[in-house]
Amino acid sequence: MLTHIEILSTLEMLKNEHLDVRTVTLGISLLDCASDEPQRFIDSMISRIGVVARDLVSVCDEVGIRYGIPIVNKRIAVSPIAVAACSRSPQEMVEVARAMDSAAKAVGVDFIGGFSALVEKGFTKGDRALIEAIPEALAATEHVCSSINAASTRAGINMDAVYLMGKTIKRTAELTGERDAIGCAKLCVFANIPEDVPFMAGAFLGVGEPQAVINVGVSGPGVVKKALDRAREANPRLDLGQLSEIIKHTAFKVTKVGELIGRRVAEGLGVPFGVVDLSLAPTPNVGDSVGEIFQSLGLGSIGVPGTTAALALINDAVKKGGAFASSYVGGLSGAFIPVSEDLNIAESARKGFLSIEKLEAMTSVCSLGLDMVALAGDTSAETLAAIIADEMAIGVINKKTTAARLIPVPGKKAGQKAHFGGLLGEATIMPAPGMDNSGEFIRLGGRIPAPIQSLTN
Amino acid sequence: MRKIIVSILGHDRPGIIAAVSEVLFRNGCNIEDVSQTILQTEFAGVFIASCPDSLDIDQLGSSLRERLDPMDLSMLLRKMEAAGVWDPPPAEPFVITTMGPDRPGLVAGITGLLASFGVNISNLKAVFRGGINPDENTMIYEVDIPTSVDKTSFREALYGRGREMSLEVSLQHRDIFEAIHRV
Repeated sequence: MLTHIEILSTLEMLKNEHLDVRTVTLGISLLDCASDEPQRFIDSMISRIGVVARDLVSVCDEVGIRYGIPIVNKRIAVSPIAVAACSRSPQEMVEVARAMDSAAKAVGVDFIGGFSALVEKGFTKGDRALIEAIPEALAATEHVCSSINAASTRAGINMDAVYLMGKTIKRTAELTGERDAIGCAKLCVFANIPEDVPFMAGAFLGVGEPQAVINVGVSGPGVVKKALDRAREANPRLDLGQLSEIIKHTAFKVTKVGELIGRRVAEGLGVPFGVVDLSLAPTPNVGDSVGEIFQSLGLGSIGVPGTTAALALINDAVKKGGAFASSYVGGLSGAFIPVSEDLNIAESARKGFLSIEKLEAMTSVCSLGLDMVALAGDTSAETLAAIIADEMAIGVINKKTTAARLIPVPGKKAGQKAHFGGLLGEATIMPAPGMDNSGEFIRLGGRIPAPIQSLTN
Repeated sequence: MRKIIVSILGHDRPGIIAAVSEVLFRNGCNIEDVSQTILQTEFAGVFIASCPDSLDIDQLGSSLRERLDPMDLSMLLRKMEAAGVWDPPPAEPFVITTMGPDRPGLVAGITGLLASFGVNISNLKAVFRGGINPDENTMIYEVDIPTSVDKTSFREALYGRGREMSLEVSLQHRDIFEAIHRV
C-alpha cells in the first residue's frame, strides 16, 4: 500500500518541480546500410529509420500518459555517418544530412544525432569528407546534430582536428549568420565522447552498441532545487554534507523514473534498454535551471567564488544517487552548464559573474564543458581552436568527457545578445580575453600525446 | 474449517482489538487477517478468522456482543461464503488523485464513474477539511482497472467528471510511485 505522503509528494514533483524525462533517444545502427552507391545508402538509411523509429513518438506519448510523466524530447541517434557512409564525398555527405533531416521529420522527432566522426588519433577519408560537409549540412537542415571526438585519454589530442574544427565552426557560423549562427548550436567537439549519449548535440550510436537501443536522459534541476529549498526551510542549520544527501536522494528518485520510463518505451518498441544518463539538464524555463541550484546552496549567483566547489558537490551527489538507482548508467552523467539554455546561467553571464575562464574551471568537476557559449563574430578560427584545445586537455588529463559548443555570432560583439530560440534559448556574448594570441601554437598541429596513467597528481 | 468475518465500529480507545481477539481465541478461532483504521475519533476494524466446524456461530456472536456492548461498540459477524463471490478480472493497478475545493457529492461522483467502468477500488484515502487548500481536500484512490477497459475512454471520462466537479484529477500507473519512493 502506498502512503498518501508518497503520492502527494510525487504529484508535487510533477506539478511544480518540472519532474519529467528530458529525452528518450533511440539509437539506430546504420552500419549495414553501407553501400558504394550513394543513393542506395540514403534509401536504406531512410527506410531503416522509418521502420525502427516509426512508433517512437506514439509509444513515448503513450508511456508518458500511462505513468503521468511527460517525455519532453524524443530523439534519434545513428551510427557515426563518417563510418557508415565512409566512401562519400563532402557533397554527398551533405545529401546524407538532408536525408537524415527528412527522416527525422517524418517520424516526428526533434533532433537526429550522428552526423559524427571519431578522429582523436587521425582522419579517414570519410572523416575528412564529413567534417568538410558540416557547415553546409547544418545550414541546410533543421534537426541534424553533429559531434566530433577530437581527443581521448588513450590517444591524446588531435590538434589538427581541433584546428580544423575551429575553422569548421567559423564556417558554420557564417553560413547560418542570419540566425545568430544557430548551426553552431548543433555542433559539439568532444574529448572522450561516450558511445551512448542520449543528449544533443552529442548523441550518436557507438560502433560497440546494438542494432537499436533506447537511452534515456533524466529530468533535473528543478526537482533538485525545490528539494534543497524545502529542506533548508525546514531546517536552516543543514550543512553541506546534509545538503549533498538531499541531492543524492532526489537524484535517486528521478533516475528511477527515467529507468522505468525508458524500459517501458524499450519494451513497447521491442528494442533493448541501454542506459540512463544522469545529467542535470536545464531548460530555458523558470524553475528548471542548474544555475538556481547554486543560489539554493547559498551562493549569490553561479560564477562567483565558491561555484566550482558547489558544482563538485552537486555533480558527485547526483552520480551517487543515480548509481544507486540504476545499474545501467552511462552517457555524460554530469551537470550541464549550457549558458544560453539556462535562464539563470545566461543572466549570470550577462551580469559578468560568469566568464569563459570560470566556465572552463567548472568543467574540471562536471561535464559537459563550454556549452552554448556565444562569442564575438570576429573570434578567429585559431582562437576557437585554442579554446577547444583547453577544454579537450581538461577531459584528457582528468579521464572524463568534456566538450565545446562554441558559437561565434557573426556581426555581434561581446555584451550583445544572441537569440537561438526554443530550447536553445538566448545568451549574452562573452568576451574572450587574449584573443588572437594563440595562432602560432594552434598552427603547430600534430597530436598532443596521451597522458601518463601513473604519477597522478 | 469454516471462516467468519467480524467487523467492529465505535469510538476509538485502547483495548478494542484485545477484546475481540480474546473472545475469538477463547472460542478456538484462528485470526487469518486483521486490519483497522481510525477516522477522526472513530475506530473501524475487520477480522477474518477460521473456526472449528463444531463452533456455534450464534453463540460466538453472543459472546462478542456481551464483551463489546459495554464498550459501546457495534459488531457485525458473518460466515464467509465461497460461492457467488465476485471474481476479480485481470487488471492493472493505477492511482487516481483528485484535488479541489470541497463540496457534497465528490466521492459519489468519482466512485460512480469507477463503478460504471468496473474499476475496483483497492485502497482509498480521502480528506475534506473544507476551504480551498488542495492538500486539505484530496482523494487518493488505488484502483484496479480491468485490462478489458479502454484506457483512453476511461481517462477521458474520469477527467471529464473531474472538470464537472472542479477537481484536478490525475491517473497514473502505480509503478511510478513505487519507483520513486521504494528502494
